[in-house]
Amino acid sequence: MELFGRIRLAFILISAVLVLNGIFLAMIWVPPHETMGDVQRIFYFHVASAWIAYVAFIVTFATSIVYMKTKDLKWDNWAVSSAEIGVVFTTLAILTGPMWARAIWGEFWRWEDLKLLMTLVLWLVFIAYLALRANVQSRRSKATLAAVFSVIGMLCIPLSFAANRIWTQSHPTVIASDQGEIVTSGMVPALIVAVFAMTFLYIALLLLRVGAAKLQDRADELKLKVGD
Amino acid sequence: MGAVGAIFQKELRVEFRNKQTIVTYLLLAFLILTSFRFAFSSFDKTATEIAAPVLWITIFFAGMFSLTPIYKREVDESTKEGLLLAPIPHSAVYVGKLLASLLVVFGLELFTLMLFFVFFPYDLPNMAALMTVLVLGTLGFVALGSIISAISSQLSQAGVMLMVLTIPVLLFTVVLSAVSATSEIFGGAGLDDINQEVRFLAVFALVFIATGYLLIDFILEA
Repeated sequence: MELFGRIRLAFILISAVLVLNGIFLAMIWVPPHETMGDVQRIFYFHVASAWIAYVAFIVTFATSIVYMKTKDLKWDNWAVSSAEIGVVFTTLAILTGPMWARAIWGEFWRWEDLKLLMTLVLWLVFIAYLALRANVQSRRSKATLAAVFSVIGMLCIPLSFAANRIWTQSHPTVIASDQGEIVTSGMVPALIVAVFAMTFLYIALLLLRVGAAKLQDRADELKLKVGD
Repeated sequence: MGAVGAIFQKELRVEFRNKQTIVTYLLLAFLILTSFRFAFSSFDKTATEIAAPVLWITIFFAGMFSLTPIYKREVDESTKEGLLLAPIPHSAVYVGKLLASLLVVFGLELFTLMLFFVFFPYDLPNMAALMTVLVLGTLGFVALGSIISAISSQLSQAGVMLMVLTIPVLLFTVVLSAVSATSEIFGGAGLDDINQEVRFLAVFALVFIATGYLLIDFILEA
């Protein structure tokens, strides 16, 4: 087995162990939260998914920049793989957040909360990125246009952050997330395991997806050869 | 500089020679405003809360439609190769097209603003402040929109894709700042009260003019 495959297998196995461990810690081992009760258990999955959403976005941005420098399609494979997995994890974060919020805040979404809006922007930009890719024919154009858009998307994040800060200054609201600050014993280790589990799962999925993209490129090359 | 001027003139000539496109944008702005006027007909028209959203949504949508063809027509008319082969930097193409579309969108906005005050009976707010927000907001969204227009000209469904790619970036930046600043202006605020929003809109415009200037090579050669 080649090195890439071996590393991939290692990551898959480690992430499987960590994910099972994380589920056990979050669902059974940690005692129910003092004020929020069992609803709080979703927090471990939510925070870990949101963390991967940001990581995936940064990886897409970084590999897109490298692609624009080197014009090597290998880097575009990393960018699109990370973006696809990023959409899944951002969706998870956006779905698990309101489940918790409905129980604790009494509403699904707060339009005044900066963190929520930033995650929403991230999600929309990610989806637009994939929609762009779906609408280009040529492999090269797809890679280049997507790389340019990921730069625009990355610029959009700090700008959205700044605009929201200005906006919330003139529309003062209570910072909603303060309610979740009471730490029960066991929360911290369970959260750390959850974050590590998701990170390893992300890397494992990324390696699988990049492998698939590589095969796709190879298949396209062979098809071209047969066509000659 | 000469190249930018030449592209600018060429764009305006194409735009105005084919009069139906300009007329269509004006008609679209008119129709969007009319829809809002009827949708809000049961509201108290003197309440200033709906002024800013109505004005900006009309401008954004009508404006974005006017941005769709600026690169797409080079592809459709097979003039893109000629444009790329011309001995001028690609950034001159971006700046020339940007200036021409700014002129068209500003015209569209003046028309929208006139209709707006006819349809919605507000007292005139502080016009200096309103024009500042309008000009800076437009600069930002046209700078971004023309980069995305260059991207979407190479996609299938160019018109829809322009919207899909632009709105996530605009939503919590230009839309948020421009609408909240305009609301305050209609509530009686002057230029001093909205200087943070004004500065933000100026920064946004600068960032995306620079981005377009730097990245247009990649987009046009993709």
